Amino acid sequence: MMVAAVICSMATTQAQECTLELKGSVNDFHDGEPLAFAQFYIQELQKTISSDENGRYSIKGLCPRTYTIIISHYDCETKTIQVAMDKDTTQNILLEHHINTLEQVQVIADVHDDHNGTQASTRIDEQTINEYSGATLGDALATVQGVSALKTGNSVVKPVIHGVYGSRVTIVNDGLRQQDQEWGIEHSPNIDVNSASNIQVIKGATALRYGGDAVGGTIIIEPERVISKDTLKGKVIAQLQSNGRGGSISSSVGNYRKSGWYQQATVTYKQLGDFEAPDYILSNTGNQTYAANIAAGYHRFTYGGSVKYSFYDSELGILRASHVGNAADLIRSINTGQPTIIRDFTYQIDPPKQKVQHHGLQLNGYKRFENLGKLQVDYSFQLNNRLEYDIRRGQDAGRAALDLDLQTQTLAAYLIIDALPGTEIELGVDGLNQKNRPNPDTGIRRLIPDYDSNKIGGFASINHRVNDNWLLDAGLRYDYYRIDATKFYLQSRWQGLGYDQQYPQFEIGDQGNQILTNPVFAYNLLAFTAGAKYFAGDHYDFSINLSSANRAPNPSELFSDGLHHALATIELGQLDLNKEQSYKLNLVAHAVKGAIDVEVNPYINRVNNYIQLIPTGLETTTRGAFPVYQYQQIDAVLAGIDLGLKWDLFTANTGASQQVPSTSQVVEKLTLDSRFSYIYGQNRTDDEPLIDMPPPQFSNGLVWSNGIFPNLNLRIANQTLLKQNRFPDNDYEVDVPDDQGNFTTQRVFISESPAAYSLWNVGVSYAFAKAKISFKINNLFDTNYRNYLNKQRFYADEVGRDFQLQVIYNF
Amino acid sequence: MKNRIAKLMFSMCLLLSLTGCVSDDVPVLINEDELITTVEYRLTNRADDANVVVLKSVDPDGDGPEMPTITTTGKLRVNATYAGSVQFLNESTVPAVDITAEVQEETIDHEVFYATTTMGVQINKLDVDDNGNPLGLLTTFETAGQAAGELLIILRHLPVKPNDGTLSSAGGETDVQVSLPIVVE
Repeated sequence: MMVAAVICSMATTQAQECTLELKGSVNDFHDGEPLAFAQFYIQELQKTISSDENGRYSIKGLCPRTYTIIISHYDCETKTIQVAMDKDTTQNILLEHHINTLEQVQVIADVHDDHNGTQASTRIDEQTINEYSGATLGDALATVQGVSALKTGNSVVKPVIHGVYGSRVTIVNDGLRQQDQEWGIEHSPNIDVNSASNIQVIKGATALRYGGDAVGGTIIIEPERVISKDTLKGKVIAQLQSNGRGGSISSSVGNYRKSGWYQQATVTYKQLGDFEAPDYILSNTGNQTYAANIAAGYHRFTYGGSVKYSFYDSELGILRASHVGNAADLIRSINTGQPTIIRDFTYQIDPPKQKVQHHGLQLNGYKRFENLGKLQVDYSFQLNNRLEYDIRRGQDAGRAALDLDLQTQTLAAYLIIDALPGTEIELGVDGLNQKNRPNPDTGIRRLIPDYDSNKIGGFASINHRVNDNWLLDAGLRYDYYRIDATKFYLQSRWQGLGYDQQYPQFEIGDQGNQILTNPVFAYNLLAFTAGAKYFAGDHYDFSINLSSANRAPNPSELFSDGLHHALATIELGQLDLNKEQSYKLNLVAHAVKGAIDVEVNPYINRVNNYIQLIPTGLETTTRGAFPVYQYQQIDAVLAGIDLGLKWDLFTANTGASQQVPSTSQVVEKLTLDSRFSYIYGQNRTDDEPLIDMPPPQFSNGLVWSNGIFPNLNLRIANQTLLKQNRFPDNDYEVDVPDDQGNFTTQRVFISESPAAYSLWNVGVSYAFAKAKISFKINNLFDTNYRNYLNKQRFYADEVGRDFQLQVIYNF
Repeated sequence: MKNRIAKLMFSMCLLLSLTGCVSDDVPVLINEDELITTVEYRLTNRADDANVVVLKSVDPDGDGPEMPTITTTGKLRVNATYAGSVQFLNESTVPAVDITAEVQEETIDHEVFYATTTMGVQINKLDVDDNGNPLGLLTTFETAGQAAGELLIILRHLPVKPNDGTLSSAGGETDVQVSLPIVVE
């Protein structure tokens, strides 16, 4: 946590009566300027005081006990401190200069909750994000209860919210909805985690501004906020790790002027070689990433605008042994129990691999109107290129097997009406134009066809604070979505699926054994949300929220057509898919009392026409036999519960004697941080469990802050995942030849989930001046394990022990 | 100031929407050059050039739903020795592509395996790759008495070499796996 100052005064008075005083000053962390009119909310007394124009404050009449004080300032990030009072105390407070806009003083008292809405949401703070500077966005997101990571190896990490992922989870990066071919299981978000200053995970379809199709939820990534004063600030994070024998370096800098002009930049470079499981090297799992984000703008209360550009380039090795020729090869891989190809460690990345590049350009302008609110116009341009390399023969060896260019443009206008007391209304219209162009030079039939899609939508939402106890919100969104594709089908496939009968109007003409078609589909999509929140005093709040999302089938679900080498399956889209409709109910009970901050979030999500891959049989080719999966629709229900707990088991003023200017010590604390999530997913149509549901998961961490000496933090954490006992039986039988040429029928065990596992991580960090150095060991006992949500679980164990060293320097 | 920002934004929007980065051409047909549609195993009787047996598997739609078509021409005689040669073709394109030539260019990255349960049939690889390990494009095929069974032909890409001659020791990825009926009469 940030440096807080406690200077213990000499005065010691009678401990029994409530006559103690807490006083001090509030200053800016960066330039030390006193902060006038900072708000101090003393939770236990439900009382607010503010600092004077010189940044001095004084709270009198305190009892000898521990108080929780929430300090907010319009220019700064809100901070919560705990002070154990046993005598008159002087505590100087430094606030991180952050909150930009002068427009709204948001008091977010804790990370569990968004007090301005009824939605179930969790915020990941900058400190947690920093810990994942060398990992991926998906890894950082998985620290939230109810969020898991769907992986392909260790570097392709997709967030799963309440059991769903891909097109069902909307990712918004700096106000811009990310369009990076998120439909693919092996496509991780093309976002540098280091560009985030905080991340909000909304576990429902309530963020209607960004779309009405977030069946699972929305992830909102926010960059460093703009400050309205003359200052230069930034940070550098360097990180080294033993597993992968590499590291990352990231640097952010912001230049802010009181006039309103500002510039921001973040650059990141990451290089890792092959990861190592406890018993072997995971050959060809290295990765290399470059990322840059730059922004420039003009920011005033009444008007402003900005230009932002982001670039992300990543090359990711895919485990060499996970590329298999046919179902018999897959059986061989499963049965050997370890990768069929293990080589010496290298930084080199060979096929199979992915190379992705993402460019995002944003233009944004806003103006405030008196007695009305704020009007904002956004334009964005995104270009995503994805190259996937397979093991190929001859002159094709270095050629990409998949080469997709996805270009997306969006234009949006929003009006936030906040002139009415206690009520905020948000209205918006937006349009999207998207073009997907696969490069024909791959020499491999297109996995996703050429398509143009357009979407136009509008939404309205209202948030009304009825009184001190009740908050209500509601919203409605409509989108019209049209997709116009041009696709070559194999004649045999077109006829085999009956499309020659069903969709003769799409046929353009035959070319050899293929047929050119022009499927066009349109969808009307409606989403709504409604909720209520009840604040029972200052310690408890309860909310209920119903959200409904409509999601049009994505291009992969409509048009997929071909062999998938990682799983030796043939995957087929389906043209007559309907939109997916979800109805999700979230309940959140939240308490902050004394040393405990706890949140319970049960939910149920009923999804009609849930689109998923269903096995439909075996097909024989010259390569041998393959199971065929087709996207089909079922009725599904996903229900579960998330728990989050932060408990300060022990708090004490250390009574440290030394006076260190402005940053001294401090509260010794032992904090328990616990999270639990459980999800039940059922295919109601076939009355069987849904595939790929995260198993029950417990995470427990114990942090001892300022224990042995000030600014030293010790941490021990455990993560336990139980075995997922609920999975559909998709095992199939295939004839496998033996060395003598005999065929035996063997079962391919692809359904069974891996065993439960428990991992221990330990860490130590020390903060001094403006720097922090930390050392941690992940997977302390070098445990062998496999993860149900890792697509490479058939081939190899997860990564083993990893030593990490990280240095953060703030300026 | 406001106007300048607005103008700048407007002109950039216009520029980008006009110049989009992707083309609007009609997509071109992709013929998969690497696809192997056809496996042809040609056996010529060493004692009688006129006795030629051709075992063939053809799957023109590749990963498509159609099953491979298997044909046999000629008759295998008892107690005979045949010179065998295998050919891999891509007949989905015109003209057809000879994949065997690619295998010959990258001999160390390939090996053809043969296995049969047919009584008395013996298959031996004649050719070697650039490192002197068996390759399997050229074979001798010996018959004994009357028998019938299946012949398995497997082409492995990037196999373990040298191996002990069995499929299981070779690893690699299966590029071809066909099973052809044979009758020795």
